[in-house]
Amino acid sequence: MKRLFIAAGLLTAWFTASAQQGTDSSAYKKQQVSQTDIQVLFSFYTQDGNHSAVTGGTGTENLQVFATDVSITHQRDARNTFTVGAGIDMITSASTDNIDFVRSSASREDNRFHLNGGYSRQLNKPDIRVRINSGISLESDYLSVPLGVSAEHDNADHTRQWSVGLQCYFDDLRWGRFDPDYYHPETLVYPSELRDTAWFDIYRRQSYNVNMALYQVVNQRIQFAVFPEVVYQKGLLSTPFHRVYFTTQKSPRVENLPRERWKFPIGLQLNLFAGRNMIIRSYYRFYHDNFGITGHTFQLEVPVKADPQLTIAPLFRFYTQTGAKYFKPYKEHSLQELYYTSDYDLSRFNSYKAGITARYALFQPMFRHYSFREIGMRYAYYKRSDRLSAHTISLFLDFKHSKA
Amino acid sequence: MRKRNSGSLFLFGAAGILTVLLLQSCVAVKPYQRVYLNDEAMQLGKTQIDKFDENVHTYREGSSGGGSGKSSGGCGCN
Repeated sequence: MKRLFIAAGLLTAWFTASAQQGTDSSAYKKQQVSQTDIQVLFSFYTQDGNHSAVTGGTGTENLQVFATDVSITHQRDARNTFTVGAGIDMITSASTDNIDFVRSSASREDNRFHLNGGYSRQLNKPDIRVRINSGISLESDYLSVPLGVSAEHDNADHTRQWSVGLQCYFDDLRWGRFDPDYYHPETLVYPSELRDTAWFDIYRRQSYNVNMALYQVVNQRIQFAVFPEVVYQKGLLSTPFHRVYFTTQKSPRVENLPRERWKFPIGLQLNLFAGRNMIIRSYYRFYHDNFGITGHTFQLEVPVKADPQLTIAPLFRFYTQTGAKYFKPYKEHSLQELYYTSDYDLSRFNSYKAGITARYALFQPMFRHYSFREIGMRYAYYKRSDRLSAHTISLFLDFKHSKA
Repeated sequence: MRKRNSGSLFLFGAAGILTVLLLQSCVAVKPYQRVYLNDEAMQLGKTQIDKFDENVHTYREGSSGGGSGKSSGGCGCN
Protein backbone atom coordinates (compact mmCIF):
# COMPACT_ATOMS: atom_id res chain seq x y z
CA MET A 1 0.00 0.00 0.00
CA LYS A 2 2.85 2.32 0.93
CA ARG A 3 4.54 1.55 -2.41
CA LEU A 4 1.29 2.37 -4.23
CA PHE A 5 1.13 5.84 -2.57
CA ILE A 6 4.78 6.48 -3.46
CA ALA A 7 4.20 5.44 -7.08
CA ALA A 8 1.06 7.67 -7.33
CA GLY A 9 2.97 10.59 -5.81
CA LEU A 10 5.84 10.21 -8.26
CA LEU A 11 3.41 9.97 -11.18
CA THR A 12 1.59 13.13 -10.04
CA ALA A 13 4.90 14.95 -9.63
CA TRP A 14 5.97 13.89 -13.10
CA PHE A 15 2.70 15.09 -14.66
CA THR A 16 2.92 18.38 -12.75
CA ALA A 17 6.51 18.88 -13.87
CA SER A 18 5.55 18.10 -17.47
CA ALA A 19 2.70 20.60 -17.31
CA GLN A 20 4.99 23.27 -15.87
CA GLN A 21 7.57 22.52 -18.50
CA GLY A 22 4.87 23.17 -21.14
CA THR A 23 3.92 26.48 -19.52
CA ASP A 24 7.53 27.60 -19.27
CA SER A 25 8.31 26.80 -22.90
CA SER A 26 5.49 29.11 -24.04
CA ALA A 27 7.05 31.93 -22.01
CA TYR A 28 10.14 31.75 -24.22
CA LYS A 29 8.19 31.73 -27.47
CA LYS A 30 9.72 34.18 -29.92
CA GLN A 31 7.32 37.09 -30.49
CA GLN A 32 7.27 39.74 -33.18
CA VAL A 33 6.80 43.22 -31.77
CA SER A 34 5.67 45.82 -34.26
CA GLN A 35 6.29 49.45 -33.47
CA THR A 36 5.02 52.66 -35.03
CA ASP A 37 6.41 56.15 -34.43
CA ILE A 38 4.23 59.12 -35.34
CA GLN A 39 5.98 62.48 -35.36
CA VAL A 40 4.26 65.80 -36.02
CA LEU A 41 6.05 69.09 -36.56
CA PHE A 42 4.41 72.54 -36.76
CA SER A 43 6.61 75.51 -37.68
CA PHE A 44 6.00 79.20 -38.16
CA TYR A 45 8.63 81.32 -39.90
CA THR A 46 8.67 85.04 -40.54
CA GLN A 47 11.40 87.10 -42.16
CA ASP A 48 11.97 90.66 -43.33
CA GLY A 49 14.70 92.37 -45.27
CA ASN A 50 15.26 94.80 -48.09
CA HIS A 51 17.13 92.87 -50.78
CA SER A 52 14.52 90.92 -52.70
CA ALA A 53 15.85 89.06 -55.74
CA VAL A 54 12.45 89.42 -57.45
CA THR A 55 13.04 93.19 -57.71
CA GLY A 56 16.72 92.93 -58.58
CA GLY A 57 18.25 93.12 -55.08
CA THR A 58 16.06 95.89 -53.67
CA GLY A 59 12.67 95.93 -51.97
CA THR A 60 10.84 93.91 -49.40
CA GLU A 61 11.69 90.32 -48.51
CA ASN A 62 8.72 90.04 -46.20
CA LEU A 63 7.69 86.40 -46.00
CA GLN A 64 5.71 84.13 -43.67
CA VAL A 65 5.51 80.36 -43.79
CA PHE A 66 3.30 78.08 -41.74
CA ALA A 67 4.46 74.49 -42.21
CA THR A 68 3.12 71.18 -40.98
CA ASP A 69 4.91 67.88 -41.36
CA VAL A 70 3.79 64.40 -40.32
CA SER A 71 6.17 61.47 -40.40
CA ILE A 72 5.20 57.85 -39.65
CA THR A 73 7.76 55.06 -39.23
CA HIS A 74 6.36 51.55 -38.96
CA GLN A 75 8.80 48.86 -37.89
CA ARG A 76 6.91 45.68 -38.73
CA ASP A 77 9.61 43.43 -37.31
CA ALA A 78 13.39 43.43 -36.91
CA ARG A 79 13.79 43.17 -40.67
CA ASN A 80 11.22 45.41 -42.38
CA THR A 81 10.58 49.11 -41.81
CA PHE A 82 8.19 51.38 -43.72
CA THR A 83 8.16 55.18 -43.62
CA VAL A 84 5.68 57.68 -44.92
CA GLY A 85 5.71 61.45 -44.58
CA ALA A 86 3.54 64.31 -45.74
CA GLY A 87 3.21 68.01 -45.18
CA ILE A 88 1.81 71.32 -46.33
CA ASP A 89 3.60 74.69 -46.32
CA MET A 90 1.41 77.79 -46.56
CA ILE A 91 3.47 80.73 -47.79
CA THR A 92 2.66 84.43 -47.84
CA SER A 93 5.30 86.38 -49.68
CA ALA A 94 5.22 90.13 -50.31
CA SER A 95 8.32 89.95 -52.49
CA THR A 96 7.08 87.12 -54.71
CA ASP A 97 4.00 89.26 -55.21
CA ASN A 98 6.23 91.76 -57.02
CA ILE A 99 6.58 89.42 -60.01
CA ASP A 100 3.51 91.26 -61.23
CA PHE A 101 3.99 94.54 -59.32
CA VAL A 102 0.37 94.14 -58.21
CA ARG A 103 -0.46 93.60 -54.56
CA SER A 104 -2.70 90.68 -53.57
CA SER A 105 -2.31 88.88 -56.86
CA ALA A 106 -2.25 85.07 -56.95
CA SER A 107 1.50 84.92 -56.39
CA ARG A 108 1.19 86.60 -52.99
CA GLU A 109 -0.01 83.34 -51.47
CA ASP A 110 1.30 79.92 -52.32
CA ASN A 111 1.06 76.40 -51.01
CA ARG A 112 3.46 73.53 -51.16
CA PHE A 113 2.36 69.94 -50.68
CA HIS A 114 4.81 67.10 -50.26
CA LEU A 115 4.47 63.36 -49.80
CA ASN A 116 7.19 60.74 -49.51
CA GLY A 117 7.50 57.07 -48.67
CA GLY A 118 10.31 54.61 -48.07
CA TYR A 119 11.09 51.03 -47.26
CA SER A 120 14.15 49.52 -45.60
CA ARG A 121 15.15 45.90 -45.15
CA GLN A 122 17.82 44.27 -43.04
CA LEU A 123 19.79 41.75 -45.09
CA ASN A 124 21.44 38.78 -43.40
CA LYS A 125 24.42 38.34 -45.65
CA PRO A 126 26.08 40.74 -45.84
CA ASP A 127 24.84 42.38 -42.62
CA ILE A 128 23.56 45.54 -44.27
CA ARG A 129 20.34 47.54 -44.15
CA VAL A 130 19.16 48.84 -47.54
CA ARG A 131 16.62 51.61 -48.15
CA ILE A 132 14.66 53.01 -51.05
CA ASN A 133 12.53 56.14 -51.04
CA SER A 134 10.53 58.33 -53.37
CA GLY A 135 7.81 60.96 -53.28
CA ILE A 136 6.54 64.19 -54.75
CA SER A 137 6.70 67.88 -53.88
CA LEU A 138 4.22 70.16 -55.58
CA GLU A 139 4.05 73.94 -55.68
CA SER A 140 2.34 76.20 -58.21
CA ASP A 141 5.58 76.76 -60.13
CA TYR A 142 7.60 73.77 -58.98
CA LEU A 143 7.24 70.00 -59.22
CA SER A 144 9.93 67.85 -57.69
CA VAL A 145 10.19 64.06 -57.72
CA PRO A 146 12.86 62.60 -55.41
CA LEU A 147 14.26 59.10 -55.77
CA GLY A 148 16.82 57.61 -53.42
CA VAL A 149 18.67 54.44 -52.48
CA SER A 150 21.03 53.89 -49.56
CA ALA A 151 22.80 51.20 -47.56
CA GLU A 152 24.17 51.17 -44.02
CA HIS A 153 26.27 48.77 -42.01
CA ASP A 154 26.80 48.36 -38.26
CA ASN A 155 29.85 46.59 -36.89
CA ALA A 156 29.40 43.65 -34.48
CA ASP A 157 29.59 45.68 -31.25
CA HIS A 158 27.58 48.62 -32.68
CA THR A 159 30.35 51.15 -32.16
CA ARG A 160 30.89 52.03 -35.82
CA GLN A 161 28.35 52.53 -38.56
CA TRP A 162 28.80 53.69 -42.12
CA SER A 163 26.25 54.54 -44.76
CA VAL A 164 26.25 55.56 -48.39
CA GLY A 165 23.33 56.85 -50.43
CA LEU A 166 22.33 58.36 -53.75
CA GLN A 167 19.49 60.87 -53.74
CA CYS A 168 18.18 62.22 -57.06
CA TYR A 169 15.69 65.05 -57.64
CA PHE A 170 13.87 65.53 -60.92
CA ASP A 171 12.32 69.00 -60.99
CA ASP A 172 10.02 70.86 -63.38
CA LEU A 173 9.83 74.64 -62.91
CA ARG A 174 6.76 75.37 -65.02
CA TRP A 175 3.73 77.17 -63.58
CA GLY A 176 0.05 76.30 -64.08
CA ARG A 177 -0.66 73.10 -62.14
CA PHE A 178 -3.06 74.81 -59.73
CA ASP A 179 -4.57 77.24 -62.20
CA PRO A 180 -8.32 76.56 -62.55
CA ASP A 181 -8.14 77.38 -66.28
CA TYR A 182 -5.39 74.86 -67.06
CA TYR A 183 -4.53 72.34 -64.31
CA HIS A 184 -1.45 71.35 -66.23
CA PRO A 185 2.02 72.89 -66.55
CA GLU A 186 2.10 75.83 -68.94
CA THR A 187 5.30 77.81 -69.02
CA LEU A 188 7.95 79.39 -66.83
CA VAL A 189 6.85 82.47 -64.86
CA TYR A 190 8.84 85.56 -65.89
CA PRO A 191 8.49 89.04 -64.36
CA SER A 192 5.38 90.74 -65.77
CA GLU A 193 7.20 93.26 -68.02
CA LEU A 194 9.53 90.61 -69.50
CA ARG A 195 6.97 88.11 -70.75
CA ASP A 196 7.37 89.05 -74.41
CA THR A 197 10.61 87.05 -74.51
CA ALA A 198 11.17 83.32 -74.05
CA TRP A 199 14.30 83.65 -71.91
CA PHE A 200 14.97 79.94 -71.50
CA ASP A 201 14.32 76.92 -73.67
CA ILE A 202 14.59 74.49 -70.74
CA TYR A 203 12.44 74.12 -67.69
CA ARG A 204 13.85 71.02 -65.98
CA ARG A 205 16.46 70.62 -63.25
CA GLN A 206 18.15 67.43 -62.07
CA SER A 207 20.15 67.02 -58.87
CA TYR A 208 22.29 64.02 -57.96
CA ASN A 209 23.51 63.87 -54.39
CA VAL A 210 25.96 61.19 -53.22
CA ASN A 211 26.06 61.30 -49.43
CA MET A 212 28.17 59.25 -47.09
CA ALA A 213 28.31 59.04 -43.31
CA LEU A 214 30.57 57.48 -40.71
CA TYR A 215 29.30 57.26 -37.12
CA GLN A 216 31.85 56.29 -34.49
CA VAL A 217 31.66 55.75 -30.73
CA VAL A 218 34.87 57.05 -29.11
CA ASN A 219 34.19 56.02 -25.50
CA GLN A 220 31.29 55.85 -23.04
CA ARG A 221 30.67 59.61 -23.30
CA ILE A 222 31.81 60.71 -26.76
CA GLN A 223 30.72 59.89 -30.29
CA PHE A 224 31.29 61.64 -33.57
CA ALA A 225 30.24 61.52 -37.22
CA VAL A 226 31.61 62.63 -40.59
CA PHE A 227 29.23 63.49 -43.45
CA PRO A 228 30.94 63.97 -46.84
CA GLU A 229 28.78 64.72 -49.90
CA VAL A 230 29.17 65.37 -53.61
CA VAL A 231 26.35 67.10 -55.46
CA TYR A 232 25.91 67.59 -59.17
CA GLN A 233 23.08 69.70 -60.58
CA LYS A 234 22.17 70.40 -64.17
CA GLY A 235 19.38 72.16 -66.01
CA LEU A 236 17.77 75.52 -65.21
CA LEU A 237 19.56 76.54 -62.00
CA SER A 238 18.41 80.17 -61.98
CA THR A 239 14.97 81.33 -60.86
CA PRO A 240 13.07 82.63 -63.90
CA PHE A 241 11.19 85.41 -62.04
CA HIS A 242 14.28 87.04 -60.50
CA ARG A 243 15.11 90.39 -62.15
CA VAL A 244 18.62 91.72 -62.70
CA TYR A 245 19.30 95.44 -63.41
CA PHE A 246 22.37 96.66 -65.33
CA THR A 247 24.57 99.77 -65.22
CA THR A 248 23.85 100.97 -68.76
CA GLN A 249 20.42 99.58 -69.54
CA LYS A 250 17.17 100.70 -67.99
CA SER A 251 15.14 97.56 -68.56
CA PRO A 252 16.04 94.46 -66.51
CA ARG A 253 16.78 90.93 -67.61
CA VAL A 254 15.89 87.59 -66.10
CA GLU A 255 18.49 86.07 -63.74
CA ASN A 256 20.84 83.74 -65.61
CA LEU A 257 23.18 81.18 -64.02
CA PRO A 258 25.26 78.33 -65.51
CA ARG A 259 23.44 75.11 -66.38
CA GLU A 260 25.72 72.96 -64.22
CA ARG A 261 26.81 73.16 -60.62
CA TRP A 262 29.12 71.01 -58.49
CA LYS A 263 28.96 71.19 -54.68
CA PHE A 264 31.34 69.68 -52.13
CA PRO A 265 30.06 69.85 -48.55
CA ILE A 266 31.51 67.94 -45.62
CA GLY A 267 30.12 67.98 -42.08
CA LEU A 268 31.67 66.92 -38.77
CA GLN A 269 29.70 66.35 -35.61
CA LEU A 270 30.97 65.59 -32.11
CA ASN A 271 28.63 64.90 -29.19
CA LEU A 272 29.93 64.78 -25.64
CA PHE A 273 28.11 63.89 -22.43
CA ALA A 274 29.81 66.21 -19.93
CA GLY A 275 29.19 65.72 -16.22
CA ARG A 276 25.92 64.29 -14.93
CA ASN A 277 23.32 66.28 -16.85
CA MET A 278 24.91 68.33 -19.64
CA ILE A 279 25.50 67.36 -23.26
CA ILE A 280 27.55 69.28 -25.79
CA ARG A 281 26.48 68.89 -29.40
CA SER A 282 28.99 70.52 -31.76
CA TYR A 283 28.89 70.72 -35.54
CA TYR A 284 31.14 72.13 -38.25
CA ARG A 285 30.47 72.10 -41.99
CA PHE A 286 32.77 73.10 -44.83
CA TYR A 287 31.30 73.85 -48.24
CA HIS A 288 32.71 74.73 -51.64
CA ASP A 289 31.13 74.92 -55.10
CA ASN A 290 32.03 75.92 -58.65
CA PHE A 291 29.89 79.10 -58.45
CA GLY A 292 32.66 80.43 -56.20
CA ILE A 293 30.91 80.04 -52.84
CA THR A 294 32.93 78.77 -49.91
CA GLY A 295 31.06 78.45 -46.64
CA HIS A 296 31.72 77.55 -43.02
CA THR A 297 29.06 76.64 -40.47
CA PHE A 298 29.70 76.31 -36.72
CA GLN A 299 26.92 75.18 -34.42
CA LEU A 300 26.87 74.52 -30.71
CA GLU A 301 23.89 73.17 -28.80
CA VAL A 302 24.08 72.45 -25.07
CA PRO A 303 21.15 70.35 -23.80
CA VAL A 304 20.92 70.49 -20.01
CA LYS A 305 18.74 67.97 -18.19
CA ALA A 306 16.82 69.92 -15.57
CA ASP A 307 15.23 66.61 -14.48
CA PRO A 308 14.93 63.18 -16.12
CA GLN A 309 11.99 64.37 -18.25
CA LEU A 310 12.86 67.99 -19.02
CA THR A 311 15.77 69.07 -21.22
CA ILE A 312 16.56 72.72 -22.01
CA ALA A 313 18.94 73.27 -24.92
CA PRO A 314 20.37 76.69 -25.85
CA LEU A 315 21.62 76.87 -29.43
CA PHE A 316 24.07 79.11 -31.24
CA ARG A 317 24.99 78.91 -34.92
CA PHE A 318 27.41 81.00 -36.94
CA TYR A 319 27.68 80.89 -40.73
CA THR A 320 29.88 82.70 -43.21
CA GLN A 321 30.10 82.47 -47.00
CA THR A 322 31.95 84.09 -49.87
CA GLY A 323 29.81 85.45 -52.71
CA ALA A 324 29.12 83.66 -56.00
CA LYS A 325 31.20 85.07 -58.87
CA TYR A 326 27.96 85.87 -60.72
CA PHE A 327 26.52 88.07 -57.95
CA LYS A 328 26.38 91.86 -58.06
CA PRO A 329 23.95 94.24 -56.36
CA TYR A 330 21.24 96.31 -58.05
CA LYS A 331 22.44 98.11 -61.23
CA GLU A 332 26.05 96.95 -60.93
CA HIS A 333 26.09 94.23 -63.58
CA SER A 334 27.47 94.99 -67.02
CA LEU A 335 25.77 93.83 -70.22
CA GLN A 336 28.90 91.95 -71.28
CA GLU A 337 28.48 89.39 -68.50
CA LEU A 338 27.19 85.99 -69.54
CA TYR A 339 25.80 84.98 -66.14
CA TYR A 340 24.31 87.36 -63.57
CA THR A 341 22.26 87.38 -60.38
CA SER A 342 21.29 89.91 -57.69
CA ASP A 343 20.04 87.25 -55.28
CA TYR A 344 21.56 88.11 -51.88
CA ASP A 345 21.35 84.44 -50.86
CA LEU A 346 24.36 84.07 -53.20
CA SER A 347 26.22 87.16 -51.95
CA ARG A 348 29.07 87.43 -49.44
CA PHE A 349 27.65 87.58 -45.89
CA ASN A 350 27.78 86.26 -42.32
CA SER A 351 24.81 85.11 -40.33
CA TYR A 352 24.13 83.99 -36.81
CA LYS A 353 21.27 82.17 -35.18
CA ALA A 354 20.47 81.96 -31.51
CA GLY A 355 17.69 79.87 -30.07
CA ILE A 356 16.44 77.64 -27.30
CA THR A 357 14.72 74.26 -27.31
CA ALA A 358 12.67 72.76 -24.47
CA ARG A 359 11.95 69.05 -24.64
CA TYR A 360 9.68 67.19 -22.26
CA ALA A 361 9.84 63.39 -22.45
CA LEU A 362 6.53 62.07 -21.18
CA PHE A 363 6.50 58.33 -21.94
CA GLN A 364 2.89 58.57 -20.85
CA PRO A 365 0.42 55.78 -21.83
CA MET A 366 -2.57 57.22 -23.68
CA PHE A 367 -4.99 54.50 -24.76
CA ARG A 368 -4.59 50.86 -25.80
CA HIS A 369 -1.11 50.50 -27.27
CA TYR A 370 -0.44 54.23 -27.81
CA SER A 371 1.90 56.32 -25.72
CA PHE A 372 2.92 59.99 -25.83
CA ARG A 373 6.72 60.04 -25.96
CA GLU A 374 7.72 63.67 -26.04
CA ILE A 375 6.80 67.26 -26.74
CA GLY A 376 9.39 69.78 -27.89
CA MET A 377 9.36 73.51 -28.59
CA ARG A 378 12.01 75.67 -30.22
CA TYR A 379 12.39 79.37 -30.82
CA ALA A 380 15.23 80.77 -32.93
CA TYR A 381 16.26 84.24 -34.09
CA TYR A 382 18.26 84.54 -37.31
CA LYS A 383 20.18 87.61 -38.45
CA ARG A 384 22.17 88.09 -41.65
CA SER A 385 24.82 90.78 -42.16
CA ASP A 386 22.77 92.26 -45.07
CA ARG A 387 20.10 93.03 -42.41
CA LEU A 388 17.72 90.20 -43.24
CA SER A 389 16.25 88.93 -39.98
CA ALA A 390 13.91 86.05 -39.19
CA HIS A 391 12.11 84.32 -36.35
CA THR A 392 11.19 80.62 -36.26
CA ILE A 393 9.02 78.83 -33.76
CA SER A 394 8.45 75.06 -33.91
CA LEU A 395 6.37 72.55 -31.99
CA PHE A 396 7.24 68.86 -32.15
CA LEU A 397 5.06 65.98 -30.94
CA ASP A 398 6.06 62.31 -30.85
CA PHE A 399 3.70 59.36 -30.33
CA LYS A 400 4.47 55.68 -30.25
CA HIS A 401 2.37 52.58 -30.86
CA SER A 402 3.63 49.12 -29.87
CA LYS A 403 1.90 45.81 -30.41
CA ALA A 404 3.15 42.28 -29.74
CA MET B 1 41.79 85.36 -52.14
CA ARG B 2 44.90 83.28 -51.47
CA LYS B 3 44.59 84.06 -47.76
CA ARG B 4 40.96 82.90 -47.73
CA ASN B 5 41.82 79.63 -49.49
CA SER B 6 44.70 78.90 -47.12
CA GLY B 7 42.35 79.51 -44.18
CA SER B 8 39.88 77.01 -45.62
CA LEU B 9 42.65 74.49 -46.20
CA PHE B 10 43.85 74.95 -42.63
CA LEU B 11 40.37 74.32 -41.22
CA PHE B 12 39.86 71.35 -43.52
CA GLY B 13 43.24 69.88 -42.51
CA ALA B 14 42.56 70.46 -38.81
CA ALA B 15 39.21 68.69 -39.13
CA GLY B 16 40.91 65.76 -40.87
CA ILE B 17 43.58 65.47 -38.16
CA LEU B 18 40.90 65.67 -35.46
CA THR B 19 38.96 62.85 -37.16
CA VAL B 20 42.05 60.62 -37.35
CA LEU B 21 42.92 61.32 -33.69
CA LEU B 22 39.39 60.50 -32.60
CA LEU B 23 39.43 57.25 -34.55
CA GLN B 24 42.76 56.34 -32.92
CA SER B 25 41.41 56.92 -29.43
CA CYS B 26 38.29 54.77 -29.83
CA VAL B 27 37.65 52.08 -27.22
CA ALA B 28 35.22 49.16 -27.13
CA VAL B 29 31.98 50.06 -25.32
CA LYS B 30 29.80 47.22 -24.01
CA PRO B 31 25.99 47.47 -24.33
CA TYR B 32 25.62 47.93 -20.53
CA GLN B 33 28.07 50.87 -20.67
CA ARG B 34 26.01 52.86 -23.18
CA VAL B 35 23.75 54.73 -20.77
CA TYR B 36 25.14 58.12 -21.86
CA LEU B 37 25.50 57.24 -25.53
CA ASN B 38 21.88 56.07 -25.76
CA ASP B 39 20.53 59.36 -24.43
CA GLU B 40 18.18 61.06 -26.90
CA ALA B 41 20.24 64.28 -26.96
CA MET B 42 23.44 62.35 -27.73
CA GLN B 43 22.18 60.97 -31.03
CA LEU B 44 24.20 61.97 -34.08
CA GLY B 45 22.71 63.66 -37.13
CA LYS B 46 19.93 66.22 -37.13
CA THR B 47 17.08 66.05 -34.65
CA GLN B 48 13.51 66.04 -35.97
CA ILE B 49 12.83 69.52 -34.61
CA ASP B 50 15.74 70.77 -36.78
CA LYS B 51 13.93 69.73 -39.95
CA PHE B 52 12.23 73.01 -40.83
CA ASP B 53 15.21 75.16 -39.71
CA GLU B 54 17.45 73.18 -42.05
CA ASN B 55 15.03 73.76 -44.90
CA VAL B 56 15.16 77.53 -44.30
CA HIS B 57 18.98 77.53 -44.26
CA THR B 58 19.07 75.88 -47.67
CA TYR B 59 17.15 78.88 -49.05
CA ARG B 60 18.74 81.76 -47.24
CA GLU B 61 22.34 80.58 -47.53
CA GLY B 62 24.05 79.82 -50.84
CA SER B 63 25.68 76.62 -49.63
CA SER B 64 22.53 74.53 -49.83
CA GLY B 65 23.03 70.82 -50.18
CA GLY B 66 21.66 68.83 -53.06
CA GLY B 67 19.15 66.99 -50.94
CA SER B 68 17.02 69.92 -49.95
CA GLY B 69 16.14 73.51 -50.64
CA LYS B 70 16.08 74.99 -54.07
CA SER B 71 16.64 71.66 -55.74
CA SER B 72 13.37 70.34 -54.39
CA GLY B 73 10.86 73.13 -54.06
CA GLY B 74 9.77 74.66 -50.80
CA CYS B 75 9.32 77.95 -49.06
CA GLY B 76 10.90 81.27 -49.85
CA CYS B 77 11.38 81.42 -53.61
CA ASN B 78 11.88 85.17 -53.33
